[in-house]
Amino acid sequence: MQFINDFLSGQWNWIVGMLPEAAKPYAMPGLVIFIVLNVTLGACSYLILLERKLSAWMQDRLGPNRVGPMGLLQPVADMLKLLLKEDVIPGHVNKFLFVLAPGISVFTTFLAFAVVPFGPVPKGLTAGDGQFPFIIAPGIDLGVVFIFAIGSLAVYGIILGGWASNNKYSALGCLRASAQVVSYEIPLGMSVVGLALLCGTMSIEKILLFQAERGIYGWNIWYQPLACVIFFIAAMAEAQRLPFDLAECEQELIGGWHTEYSAMKWGLFFLAEYTHVITISFLTSILFFGGWHLPFIAETTSNYSGVWMVKVGVLLAKVSVFIVVIQMLRWTIPRFRFDQLMSLAWLCLIPLAMVNIVMVMVVKQFELNEWWLLPGSAAIFLAAGLMGTQSTKPFARRVAAPIETPGHGGHGHAHAH
Amino acid sequence: MNWSPENGMLLLPLALGWLAVWWLLPREKPRGRILGGLIGVAALLVLQATVLPPAGDLVHDVMFYAFAAAAILCGGLMITDKNPVYAALWFALTTLAVCGLFLLNSAPFLAAATIIVYAGAIVVTFLFVIMLAQQGGIGGYDREAFQPGMASLLSFALLATLLFSLQEWGGIDGKAADEARHGQFVSVPTTVQANLLSQAPESNPREIGSLRVLGRSLFTDYLYAVELAGTVLLVATIGAIAIAPRRSQGHL
Repeated sequence: MQFINDFLSGQWNWIVGMLPEAAKPYAMPGLVIFIVLNVTLGACSYLILLERKLSAWMQDRLGPNRVGPMGLLQPVADMLKLLLKEDVIPGHVNKFLFVLAPGISVFTTFLAFAVVPFGPVPKGLTAGDGQFPFIIAPGIDLGVVFIFAIGSLAVYGIILGGWASNNKYSALGCLRASAQVVSYEIPLGMSVVGLALLCGTMSIEKILLFQAERGIYGWNIWYQPLACVIFFIAAMAEAQRLPFDLAECEQELIGGWHTEYSAMKWGLFFLAEYTHVITISFLTSILFFGGWHLPFIAETTSNYSGVWMVKVGVLLAKVSVFIVVIQMLRWTIPRFRFDQLMSLAWLCLIPLAMVNIVMVMVVKQFELNEWWLLPGSAAIFLAAGLMGTQSTKPFARRVAAPIETPGHGGHGHAHAH
Repeated sequence: MNWSPENGMLLLPLALGWLAVWWLLPREKPRGRILGGLIGVAALLVLQATVLPPAGDLVHDVMFYAFAAAAILCGGLMITDKNPVYAALWFALTTLAVCGLFLLNSAPFLAAATIIVYAGAIVVTFLFVIMLAQQGGIGGYDREAFQPGMASLLSFALLATLLFSLQEWGGIDGKAADEARHGQFVSVPTTVQANLLSQAPESNPREIGSLRVLGRSLFTDYLYAVELAGTVLLVATIGAIAIAPRRSQGHL
């Protein structure tokens, strides 16, 4: 392993040595951004292939197998198709906003990745000491809040895309999608508050280190399993992945807010979606599953040569597991109805997240053993499940159909549900 | 407050700004936008002698001017645009530019929270309402400003009181005498009206504006204000739920 280290740092020093003096501080951030952008773009195109293969496997089909060995060159063909297709801009659209919308979608999802560490971030890193930082923007104190702030701007891509298309189907799809995204931001944000209270920081790197220093029983999943579930569900809804993709409903409805988009502009929306999936998987494995930490081989104390490769490998393995889980959920859970989707966020996830925060506060305030959080989360989860079942009386009317009141029957169209 | 010659320096830019906004507000008969824009630029140029911060680090200065110019430009476009959808989008951009200024002044949490709350939620709600309400094209109430002269005059009177009081505040609050004489108001307050729970501020300058220091300040220095605001919001929430019609009544 040592010779790979030496080779890489030797090459890098040679490249930096050729640069003019003024450009040297920007060399390392430039390298990191270059690597992240290209790896993410490549990973996105192969994730599409993986998704198609998994779908085919789950539906007992073969999937794409014509281009290249076992269909491995299919992403290349897809990309060529997207680039060479005629790029239609329909008449009477607002051209500027129409072109801007996919750009906003891609921009926000990539910008969110700036604070996500993808390897062992050196402790106490300062700009310009020449170490590879494994994160685009090291030392951001508010990593999680930054991601939510950027993520809340992603809704503009949806709104502008739907509105600028000058199409009623697009407008309806954009209203649905943006209502969903805005609603699910709240449980997403609230689910990590407990985490911040436990770890005493909002910085993603510090949360990772906090878990790694405490070993496998320090992973946040042991203390915040409920928050993990809420975070994962809300993040999937933010990314509009199935089972939350009812803005598109690609099997039965017209394609939501991107109905009028074609060629690469359509592709950009899906590039944004896949980048979002990657970011979600990174965040879940870092915030709740210890990031690059794995007992015995990747601890904070292990310092054999090339340990960074093992750590990056461990993190990427965890991330791939979550990506595959997200893709398999697509063919496992049926799609929600819109009112079910809204009541899931407002009546289920938000109260659960609130109760979870209160539980963490109680444990911190009275200095109880943190292990109480595990049975506590399970108890809250079970209680919520019990209250949600239709047979439990006080909560049953919530899921019942709205009652038609007499006197309004004559003009039923006035009921805008 | 006593009238001082420094206050007079603000009157000309305020008048010019009022003229520019009044000229640019939407009318039935379109007016030249260039003339209004030039008057606005002149107002800013006259004002800059008073309000600009002293030059510092180059990158910092460039970013400050970029964000400040974007905020003023987008704010002006927001109130003068005829299309309400564009106006909402300009408002979002104004919010983003102001958040950039927050970031420059090492208040990252304030910036992130403002983006989440304003740009991410409130402007989106505006856009919803506007898009749903604008089915048949732009309404007459958007094509023409309602009482443009009175509205812009009142808003500039508000701006004037804000500037005057800021100037007064900057002049007395532990400033060097020559700075105060030039009417500069650029420093942070050195004292906070502190209550009993107040703790000593963080000594490390990098920590100012961080989540830890912000939380401590909110729950010690400004405890009453925070609790009061929380109570008001809670009452508003309960009121909204109470006013909203039930689904069984057939109105939702």
